[in-house]
Amino acid sequence: MGSRYLLRKSFGAIFTIFLIVILNFVLFRMMPGSPDRILLRNPNLTTEARTAALERWGLDKPLIPDQLVAYLQATAAGDLGYSFKFHGESVTDVLAGRIWPTLILFGLGEILAVIFGLALGAYSGWKRGGAVDYIGNGLSLVLYSMPYFVIGILLLGIFAIGLHWFPTSGMLTIGGSNTSTWDQFLDFAWHLFLPLLTVTIGLIGQYSILMRSSVIETLGEDYVTTARGKGLTSGKILRAHALPNALLPAVTLIAINLGYVIGGAITVEVVFNWPGLGTLTVQALEARDYPVLQGIFLLLSVSVVVANFGADLIYGRLDPRVRT
Amino acid sequence: MTTEVLPEAAIRNERLRLRLKSIRSFWRRFAARPDGVIGVVVLIFFSILAIAPGFFVGPLQTVITATGLPLDPPSTAHWLGTDELGRDILNLTVHGTRISMFIGLLATVITILLGAMIGIVSGYVGGRTDTFLMRVTDFFLVLPTFVLALILAPIILDIVGAGSEVFGIRVTLIVIVIVIGITSWASTARIIRSQTLSVKERAFVGRARVIGSGGGHIMWRHILPNTMNLIVANTVLVFGGAILTETTLSFIGLGDPFAPSWGEILNAAESAGAMGLGAWWYVVPPSVCIVLVVLAFTLVGSALDDVLNPRLRVRR
Repeated sequence: MGSRYLLRKSFGAIFTIFLIVILNFVLFRMMPGSPDRILLRNPNLTTEARTAALERWGLDKPLIPDQLVAYLQATAAGDLGYSFKFHGESVTDVLAGRIWPTLILFGLGEILAVIFGLALGAYSGWKRGGAVDYIGNGLSLVLYSMPYFVIGILLLGIFAIGLHWFPTSGMLTIGGSNTSTWDQFLDFAWHLFLPLLTVTIGLIGQYSILMRSSVIETLGEDYVTTARGKGLTSGKILRAHALPNALLPAVTLIAINLGYVIGGAITVEVVFNWPGLGTLTVQALEARDYPVLQGIFLLLSVSVVVANFGADLIYGRLDPRVRT
Repeated sequence: MTTEVLPEAAIRNERLRLRLKSIRSFWRRFAARPDGVIGVVVLIFFSILAIAPGFFVGPLQTVITATGLPLDPPSTAHWLGTDELGRDILNLTVHGTRISMFIGLLATVITILLGAMIGIVSGYVGGRTDTFLMRVTDFFLVLPTFVLALILAPIILDIVGAGSEVFGIRVTLIVIVIVIGITSWASTARIIRSQTLSVKERAFVGRARVIGSGGGHIMWRHILPNTMNLIVANTVLVFGGAILTETTLSFIGLGDPFAPSWGEILNAAESAGAMGLGAWWYVVPPSVCIVLVVLAFTLVGSALDDVLNPRLRVRR
């Protein structure tokens, strides 16, 4: 990979993260009342902590540049302020406790959805007009039109409440901590199943639609016609010529959609009471806990930028044309 | 001027004839897409519900005017059962149509206006303006805009006060509309910009510039009409997306309980623990409506895209 490509992409990612932090700063100052009063409003904060915070953010100094610089320094050091709701705990601690459940749920869900979605889309596009295409594409469109939480509510209603096959909420059975590690793992997997299924089903639709149109487009390219002319079998054409090229736009679009996907998928956690960032968001919203909300926004947007950067690197590896 | 001037009326007639002809040919091509036609039928049905919900189910029921027992299953009196306050679900769902579609419509208008304006200006003016606007656009494309909406909505609500009204519309609804608009114009701007770039190079734009037309005039009279096809197709797709976003925001608890959209009904069902109590009738009707409407928008949108933008049509 060319170092100029790498440099350009890294610079772009860092610049975007910088903009996000600035946006967060602006949002923070837009809030009703000054940050000072918001700190005062927080009854769970000790006087010392408040004074320390005032000094750190330089709230007695002008907004620009002093406060901005102080904010940037604090953010870079991982200091995101204190939560209103969670007894004055620091936002970083509150977030840290909630990252893993979300990461497991959406990490696994993304991977499963990408694998199955791309496979379904590729097959549908290849056998365009066939039975799998009709059913798969129709189903994908319906899933694409469903908010994630609606899928969750329906699955919850059928499999957890109706059939009692799965637990209705939470991540572990309460009071099950004295069993063996293996049992705890099984309990966790049992709780994970429905939320994971929801996320996967919710994402499969768009990936499949995306891959289908990408494969169809690629199959119309001249090099595929050439491959046909050489007398290659249709399976060989798909594997050696169409699929690798069809995957390229898919990689970019998956990364771009990530920001959109994360927001919608948050609601799945609410339906299943999964103790991750999604339920935290809703709790923070109800309590108007702005520092936590901003922490979540910062965390999620930076993750999306990093993921996009990763996709750019993968793209650079897959497609020699962009390595300039 | 000594050249022969056609009478005004003849020009007008000719214009009308051409327009009718293009409408007719458009309709012929659109009618060949059964999925698009089905989508249109579904949308017409819901539009009628949205225009006159009171005609079908009477005025919106409140706690005071509720007509049934709490969480009553479907019966002949209440076809779709009742909610935890004894309100008729059919009544709520039909009135929810109006609110969901209305918010979706307003949010779409803002999104398209912003997106088209930024796309056309960026593409036509070019240079530094283009670089700057596209940087902003890419920023909004990468950003998890839904999460941004989640933060923006309560902040704006706290500033303006949730209870007040503007032009008889409750502020909560307006805030949702604005937030959806601000956070979803980016992809429209990208699409319109790329079309603008190609229209800009055509001969008639150069001629308009030669006879001294200003930038504003060219963008309004020459570029905009030639990007209209894309804008129309995009509007339909954005509409569906806006309804989805509104539903999700309301479900999270940012909706207006006094103007229940479908998402708000689902939020109420979630808070009342309807699913846990086995009250599926509370959840299924609004869900089905959401899926039907969004699916219809997607179908019509992609059909329009194929018909109006033939160059984008997939080769085989």
